[in-house]
Amino acid sequence: MAGPLGLVATQVTRPVFEGIGPAGRVLFYAAAVVAMAVFVWGVWHRVRKYRIGREAGRGPTIREALVRRLGSTGSGASVTRGNLATGVAHFFIFWGFCVAFGATIILTIDTDIVRNVSRLFAGHSDSFFHGTFFIVFTFAVDTTGFAFLVAVIYMALRRGVRRPARLGYGRAGAPAGGYSRREMAQGDWLFLGFLLAILVTAYLLTGLRILGQHMPWFTVFSPFGRVVAEMFSATGVTPAEAVRAHTVLWWTHATLALAFIAYLPYSKAMHMLTDGVNLLATDRSETLRLPAPPPGRPGYREIADFTWKQLLDLDACTKCGRCHEVCPATAAGAPLSPRDMILDLRQWVDASTGGITLLDRERRPDDTGPVSPGTGVRIAGDVVEADALWSCTTCMHCVDVCPVGIEHVPTIVQLRRSLVDEGTMGPTLQQSLQNLATQGNSFGKSGRMRGRWLRELDWPVPDARKQHVKYLWFVGDYASFDERLQDSSRILATILHDTGVDFGVIYEAEHNTGNDVRRVGEEGLFEMLAEHNIAALSEARFDEIFTTDPHTLNALRNEYPALGATYPVRHYTELLAELLDAGTIDVRPLGHRVTYHDPCYLARYNGIVEAPRRILRALGCELVEMPRHGVDTFCCGAGGGRIWMDDDLLTERPSEIRIAEALSLGVGQFVVACPKDATMFADAVKTVRADDRLVVRDITLLVAEAIAKPAEPGLVGANL
Amino acid sequence: MRIVVPMKSVPDLVEEIEFTADGTGIEREQLKFVLNEWDAQALEEALLLRDSGGVEVVAVGCAVDPEIDQILYTALAKGADAAVRLADARAGSSSGPAGIPVAARAALLAAYLEDQPADLVISGVQAPDDPDGQLPPTLAALLGLPHVSVAVGVEADGDGVTVRQEFAGGLSHELWVGLPAVIGVQSARQAPRYAPISRIRQTMSAGGLGELAVTPREPQGGPVPRRMLQPATTGHAEMLTGSPGDVADQIVELLRSRGLVKGE
Repeated sequence: MAGPLGLVATQVTRPVFEGIGPAGRVLFYAAAVVAMAVFVWGVWHRVRKYRIGREAGRGPTIREALVRRLGSTGSGASVTRGNLATGVAHFFIFWGFCVAFGATIILTIDTDIVRNVSRLFAGHSDSFFHGTFFIVFTFAVDTTGFAFLVAVIYMALRRGVRRPARLGYGRAGAPAGGYSRREMAQGDWLFLGFLLAILVTAYLLTGLRILGQHMPWFTVFSPFGRVVAEMFSATGVTPAEAVRAHTVLWWTHATLALAFIAYLPYSKAMHMLTDGVNLLATDRSETLRLPAPPPGRPGYREIADFTWKQLLDLDACTKCGRCHEVCPATAAGAPLSPRDMILDLRQWVDASTGGITLLDRERRPDDTGPVSPGTGVRIAGDVVEADALWSCTTCMHCVDVCPVGIEHVPTIVQLRRSLVDEGTMGPTLQQSLQNLATQGNSFGKSGRMRGRWLRELDWPVPDARKQHVKYLWFVGDYASFDERLQDSSRILATILHDTGVDFGVIYEAEHNTGNDVRRVGEEGLFEMLAEHNIAALSEARFDEIFTTDPHTLNALRNEYPALGATYPVRHYTELLAELLDAGTIDVRPLGHRVTYHDPCYLARYNGIVEAPRRILRALGCELVEMPRHGVDTFCCGAGGGRIWMDDDLLTERPSEIRIAEALSLGVGQFVVACPKDATMFADAVKTVRADDRLVVRDITLLVAEAIAKPAEPGLVGANL
Repeated sequence: MRIVVPMKSVPDLVEEIEFTADGTGIEREQLKFVLNEWDAQALEEALLLRDSGGVEVVAVGCAVDPEIDQILYTALAKGADAAVRLADARAGSSSGPAGIPVAARAALLAAYLEDQPADLVISGVQAPDDPDGQLPPTLAALLGLPHVSVAVGVEADGDGVTVRQEFAGGLSHELWVGLPAVIGVQSARQAPRYAPISRIRQTMSAGGLGELAVTPREPQGGPVPRRMLQPATTGHAEMLTGSPGDVADQIVELLRSRGLVKGE
């Protein structure tokens, strides 16, 4: 046939703007300019919003990440973690998009720059878009595009047919006046639909072009496009019909592609731009060592209090629901879901700064929560309800599973700080804080009695303020004051004493380290406790500190250095493991079948997962792991000051959920390495009436049992 | 309206309390002192009145009370407009082993209030060392003002205040009292608010504690401790045994025999 298609098929290339006349080209360029203007305006609007935020101090993090984490960020490794199929699909979508985008850039360079510049200077139009380059180009685009298409179809089937619970948008804690998140689901489908439509039209277009060109030999390098062409041909479409259909479809495809560009910064697709930056800027150490309140302010009250990173966090969320799924508060029926909090803040911040997002809104008949109008609204209290903020155990699981580097916990604490400043808190928490302020412990017992549990030992435990010791034992509130735990503390002291470990304590000079006080949001009290402890420790003489409580360990190891006090800090399980490995403690094998619960502040926060397991191995115990173990452990529900609050809002306590998990293993002992865990789980086994099947034991008790001669098993305080 | 709230520190009762050698007071050296819990209620009630507008709240403490600075700064952090530390202008006066006796405390406060009159004095109704609540009535008598005690709510009402008192069995009544007056508060309408430590520290670094030396009249009357006694252990816990049904029956029987439930 006559016409452009027949002519170019003699050369190894394909025409750009195939079948589109000069008027059509002008129209296309005009539309492209409009689409890009809309895109730029949207991105600029977002960037302007982030610039409201404070400096985040992430420069060094980003510089380091560009060197060390660029590869893992680019490969989308964080999406794959714990979710292989989705990660692989995302990988192909990500790179499919990048290749398609790169291809467009190459075509722009060839069509709009090289050809025009050469015409201007050399008098004839040059192009590099032919021959081998064309073949490589077309092969790459065709194959990655097809993988992209398959991946999008997989994602659509996953979302539409398999419907994993985490992709449901049901809130944790439904607001009294009702709510609807239908628009959010529509927004997801619009995104998927856009990609699907663009890809499908691309292949139909390629097929029609190849058929219109009478299938030249080199089109085998567009294998999937060629298949489509063969299919058209097989169904009786003639090349002439193909050419006519091609023109119509070309405009359809072009319109979709330009519309997608315009739509991108207003939609879920924005994550393509925000999340790369967010992943490079993310820093989990900000959760281990919380940032200070904004200068001169008690906590977060307005948008300008957030850092730009925290504002970016809000837009980075793709609603994947991983945090929602792992959150112990959500699982327990509390009104908190990390995802909901991020989405609520995002909606409110977006609405308060001009409101540009498309299909990303929750609707509420009573205009509460994220729908609250902008002025006079409390971010902590109205946008995110106080009960939701108080539900967080700061277990950090949300931060760790987030594939896009959102740091929920520091934001929650900043919001809690403004609640504390207003005095909005439950009576039990208030009492605990007052106790900590007056007596240095949350029990409200006399601080002078902190060392009383040591009196029942047969020998004097050295006072590290009076003599040098190798190890200073920072005992912590629970191990010192809780009568059920004092036995374990005495047994640990005895083991160490009998082994000849040189250790001491600082008696009443020790106060609560304030790890959880800080996470409650009572910054002033944390500072007061920390200043006291740092002063007390400066009076003591020791080489190293070991702690009973993982929360204490976190404060001493991660929080105190920011206050100018750095110590070598270990957990008692590390010390015991070392003594067992060295053979210093002589044990007989126990042969128990046990499971072990990793404390959040030991495992997730501080990566200490091996020491307790080494102990169990050394004791000859068979360790049966719970599905959630190691750094993926499930919180007992006590952290972040939750242990000082009531559980009225919970339907099932996290500790009870955890005990159910352990019961499914058929083990007899539930081993813990944290005093708070000991109390939480000892209560939980009784609540779920499993205390006849499962015994909660501190790992110290197992060591003591293994030391004891078989004839005297009664020596060991059997259990809690 | 100017409301004065007298504040007093008392030993934290979680401490182990030891008596002085003569047995008439307690060893105060090693003890932690905290705000008298009823004074915390009184302050909260005053702050609630303040929140409704047109009210100035002044917290007043005796300079010789241990930890009184901390207590007064905390009152400022909670929202009191001013805090004053009262000293006895007479030379050589200090608190004895039992602290300032109620009569002397009332005389000191009266001297202050005669100098700087208040429309309303809201005090804690009692204290661990004033178990029969003598301070508010003594103060009222010295000032010649009307007095209401065991209040569980004070609200502005015309030229006076409406005071709610609660009785056994949930009965309560309201009475109106003209100003100025002295009121002893049993409990505030809501739990005392929390003062964040950073706010307390801010008020501390800002200073602003008023100092005032007054010359009280010689106190008259008032109880004098003759002997202190450790609390005697009375009663004991009785463990009920048997099946849950049996235990339930025993509990019902106990409640019935003590007149706590009526009917069949």
